[in-house]
Amino acid sequence: MHTMLQQWALYLPDYLKGVGMTLELTGAALLVALVFGFILALARLSKIRVLDWAATGYVEIIRAIPVLILLFICYYSLAQAGLKLSGPVAAIVGLGGFYAALYGEIFRGAILGVDRGQREAAEALGMPRSVAMRKVILPQAFFAILPPATNQLSNLIKDTSLVFTIAVADIMFQANSALSQNFLPLDMLLLAGVIYFLFYLILSKFLARWELNVQRRRS
Amino acid sequence: MSNDVVVSARNMTKRFGNTLVFKDVSLDVHKSEVVAIVGPSGAGKSTFIRCINRLHPFDEGTLELLGHRLTGGKAKVPRAVLQDIHTRVGMVFQTFNLFPHLTVIENIMLAPMEVKKMPRAEARERAMALLEMVGLPHKRDIYPKRLSGGEQQRVAICRALAMEPEIMLFDEPTSMLDPELVGEVLGAIQRLAREGMTMLLVTHEMAFAKEVADTVVIMADHEIAEMGPACEVLESPKTERAQQFLSRVLKPEQAADDFVAARTASQGGDR
Repeated sequence: MHTMLQQWALYLPDYLKGVGMTLELTGAALLVALVFGFILALARLSKIRVLDWAATGYVEIIRAIPVLILLFICYYSLAQAGLKLSGPVAAIVGLGGFYAALYGEIFRGAILGVDRGQREAAEALGMPRSVAMRKVILPQAFFAILPPATNQLSNLIKDTSLVFTIAVADIMFQANSALSQNFLPLDMLLLAGVIYFLFYLILSKFLARWELNVQRRRS
Repeated sequence: MSNDVVVSARNMTKRFGNTLVFKDVSLDVHKSEVVAIVGPSGAGKSTFIRCINRLHPFDEGTLELLGHRLTGGKAKVPRAVLQDIHTRVGMVFQTFNLFPHLTVIENIMLAPMEVKKMPRAEARERAMALLEMVGLPHKRDIYPKRLSGGEQQRVAICRALAMEPEIMLFDEPTSMLDPELVGEVLGAIQRLAREGMTMLLVTHEMAFAKEVADTVVIMADHEIAEMGPACEVLESPKTERAQQFLSRVLKPEQAADDFVAARTASQGGDR
């Protein structure tokens, strides 16, 4: 016990650098996933068939591929094809692209879940489709998006741990390099696990409170 | 189309896939006329008035309204025409369909501000005037969920009127309401009728239809069974189908007795 805490203290500065990287990656990948996911959802709901097909194809294919393979493709395969991405950029593209497919489906489901009468009422009032979407449909879809979206966010944080395989210095990367120096894999991975757990704890508490707030404001 | 006629339907037919909803419906509505459409459920009444403001397309026939001429079939109506129709024809739904994320007054202000680009202050003022008219000014900052059905429907009427429509469509505005709340909504509609609004109203309230409507249309079995001045049609219907329908709604006890008698007979008399 004594030595473990000593080792933790010794490597904590490295881990904290990793925490910074993990948070940055999560933030950037989330942004990509939200924006691109929203575009995917609109494309799948579009009456223009080509857009619908392209988006559906993307979602179905990307969802089926393990994230690790996507990360390798973004880092190694694209480089082989001549497009060299740095580790963090490849990580953001890979994770963002994967989570965009998941978020796209969440958005689409929530938009479709808004009562048809709402759409009809907006149409009967002469609102163009874009106005109906912005002012009537999306604000209502938001409440259906929130719980599954926050759920996926905690998955995203955990999946960022895969980026150590493409040489990005996140928490997992720091744990891996520490344990290869002191040969204490149990202690060093435990610390990484504790940090991820703290993330999860803070995030879930924070988001749960936000959800509650939103729900309360609505009624 | 004479100047006075604002809606003119000619041989309109509508199907959902292979299912016929209504066929050969022809109807003229004059300015300031109130037309009530009554009839058994499934006769196609609601779908018909939804076709008038083109929430649904129709398959055959023509529809002239507000200077536009629409023909049935697959041909696409230009978006600008659709929007012009939607802006000038107000609609009130059976299920109210208020926007749950907006307060009462925001519900009423939204379309004038977004569609007509009316300044907020003006939209607010007009919304308040409408709420006064239906007796709900004190509810302006409440969310629709907190209102009774009758209040929601009165707000929905305000929301439609805020666009200053030339024609109002009512799709069974009182059938989702508790009986004691029906009166307040009918009162608001009656007031509109007195002010000279052109209205098409699908309803099950026969007494109200008789009192407010100029013309009554009875739709049954996917077509118009009879149509004419309200009192005439409701009091002395000429066609058999209309008589049958009216005898059922106007004398429910009699209809119940007939039903029991028919059942008993079919089961081989009293046991």
